[in-house]
Amino acid sequence: MLRNDTDSWGTPAKFFHWVMAALILAQIALGLVAGNWPLSPLKLTLFVWHKSLGMLILALAALRIGWRLGNLAPALPDGTAPWERRAAQASHFLLYALMISLPLSGWVVNSAANVPFQIFWAIPLPAIVAPDKATADLAALAHLSLFILLSAVLVAHIGAALRHHFVKRNDVLARMLPGLGR
Amino acid sequence: MRIAAFVLLLAAAIPFAQAADWKMDPPASRLEFVASFEKTAAPGVFKDFDARIRFDAGKPEGGQIDVTIRTASADMSSADINKAIGGPEWFDFARYPQAAFHAAEIRRVDGNRFVARGTLSLKGVQQAVEVPFVWTDAADAATMEGELTLQRAAFGIGTGEWTATNVIGADVKIRFRLKLRKAG
Repeated sequence: MLRNDTDSWGTPAKFFHWVMAALILAQIALGLVAGNWPLSPLKLTLFVWHKSLGMLILALAALRIGWRLGNLAPALPDGTAPWERRAAQASHFLLYALMISLPLSGWVVNSAANVPFQIFWAIPLPAIVAPDKATADLAALAHLSLFILLSAVLVAHIGAALRHHFVKRNDVLARMLPGLGR
Repeated sequence: MRIAAFVLLLAAAIPFAQAADWKMDPPASRLEFVASFEKTAAPGVFKDFDARIRFDAGKPEGGQIDVTIRTASADMSSADINKAIGGPEWFDFARYPQAAFHAAEIRRVDGNRFVARGTLSLKGVQQAVEVPFVWTDAADAATMEGELTLQRAAFGIGTGEWTATNVIGADVKIRFRLKLRKAG
């Protein structure tokens, strides 16, 4: 099943969800490790991975948002409270916004810091701002703030999914699992 | 009569005998280096350097080249990188503020292409280096440009774990273009 319908997610939606979930978790780990590693060849290599994954996530996020806008989303179960519907809508909107803004802010940091970089050692990444120390510092602060926001939204997202499954005992989590669509 | 002949001979000989002295025009001259970082070219320049040259294209053997470079003027157009390369593992600005190249052995390759064989002193290491260059002059101005590749390891640029060449490459390309004016 390709397209979403009123009560289940299609294969592309599930693919985007789980592939990006894995990439984003790996990306968070890489960012934390690379940022705190002492200056060394390994640190530079970890950053090439972090920046490369970031650009991959940005590209996937653009495709995913396009797919999401061209499809309907399965409805929340009957009896979902209005505040829960609003929270779900707001957190999903934030997640999509963060999938775009986090890589973009990282791209600004890389451009402003003017560090030579090729995505996966192969594709040169053009600069989107001129080299400038103040811009680099500001963008790095924005990148860190957005990361903290992402961490909070992810906790809410995962917490809500688990609550749907184990407390409310509905199929909101299960219908996103591969092969378990209804 | 003999004196007149002697003076004439001397006058004729002067353009050949006198290897010209040249001074560098700093704003018009460039000394670049291109390192590689994660397989991506990482260019930089030395902003502060000077060259004194005695050279006559008609008689290269009598030539002499003296270049001095202030290492801390290295600029790789990134504040982070500029800070890192001053450290003891890289150029070690504090201990080795100056690099120099001296050559007194110049030969013609062909036409206006020459090679200067001399000594490069960098980070306390002195190594024989051959610098190929193209020389063009007109009246009181000359241009000297060339390119060569050095191994950073030979000069201890990048010590400790930076000796690995997978992240920062082994080769560093040097490019120079000097604008010179006849001195005196």
